[in-house]
Amino acid sequence: MRIFALAFALLLLGGSTYTLTAQPTGLERGNMAPEIKLPSLKGDTIALSALKGKFVLIDFWGTWCAPCVEEQSELARLYKKYKQTSFTNGTGFEIYGVAMEAKKPNWEIFVAKNNISWIQVSDLKFWRSPVAKTYNIQELPFNVLIDGKGVIVAKNLHGPDLEKEIGRYLRK
Amino acid sequence: MVHNLLFYTNYQMKTKILTFLFIAVAMSVFAATEFSCQGQSDPWTPQQLLAPADIAKVLNDPNSPQPIVYCIGMQAIVKGSIDIGPAMKEENLNKLKQKLINLPKKSQIVVYCGCCPFSRCPNVRPAMELLKSMQFTNYKLLNLPQNIKVDWIDKGYPMSE
Repeated sequence: MRIFALAFALLLLGGSTYTLTAQPTGLERGNMAPEIKLPSLKGDTIALSALKGKFVLIDFWGTWCAPCVEEQSELARLYKKYKQTSFTNGTGFEIYGVAMEAKKPNWEIFVAKNNISWIQVSDLKFWRSPVAKTYNIQELPFNVLIDGKGVIVAKNLHGPDLEKEIGRYLRK
Repeated sequence: MVHNLLFYTNYQMKTKILTFLFIAVAMSVFAATEFSCQGQSDPWTPQQLLAPADIAKVLNDPNSPQPIVYCIGMQAIVKGSIDIGPAMKEENLNKLKQKLINLPKKSQIVVYCGCCPFSRCPNVRPAMELLKSMQFTNYKLLNLPQNIKVDWIDKGYPMSE
């Protein structure tokens, strides 16, 4: 009987600790970023949660979106610079590119032509993609920066602001 | 000394007038450019912009005369619309031309893209210019000022299967 009571108390304690430490899933800074599981260009499904432990930029973009296309060279520079970097809450930098495409060929050609080496996924549903709804995307480009635990640290930063934010989390 | 002072005052006045004139001219040029970017260069009139709520009502009413709706963007999302493909590509513009060629000039036609705001959309202008050049008299552009997600999908308007 005592053992059961002890086990019950431990369970309660564990539960309350979990409640205190776990972040709610949402779109605000400090929330756990909602899960994304989409097919890559090769057809295999890549989950955002599989990148746990890394500092990740979720980049929502499209080949039809001029400012997104312009931004890709800057992302390539950041990727190269920070790929192997240690952060305060994560090791290594990854970009999880979610292409809001309607057809595969445009996306495939663009990625190959521009030597994009980071993760690329798409459900080829354009603006009808459930991910657009989940992340409440109003326009492109849009991005979310998450730490090694999958917690949102910043949203929709571009150019120098994005790099400045990444810089805040570098391990010194 | 007095002569010097007068000369200086005169010089100051001239500089002020010239600065004022320069700012006035610069502001006029800027205003003219803005006006031209926002309205004059667009191949449609404000009357040709069709409110999503209006066409959604028509599409939901089977007894209402239905317009012919062409998607000239990435993907046909509006219920019953015909997928042409991005009108920025010549092959797709030709495809649209072939669809239009045998239609009566008074046909009720609606085109839409919805990828991004009109100012950045590469597809709406070629399609509207084509309709104008083919002398259609009753064609409209679906007014999706931000994009098809915000202005159509999120509003719950009818979508294709």
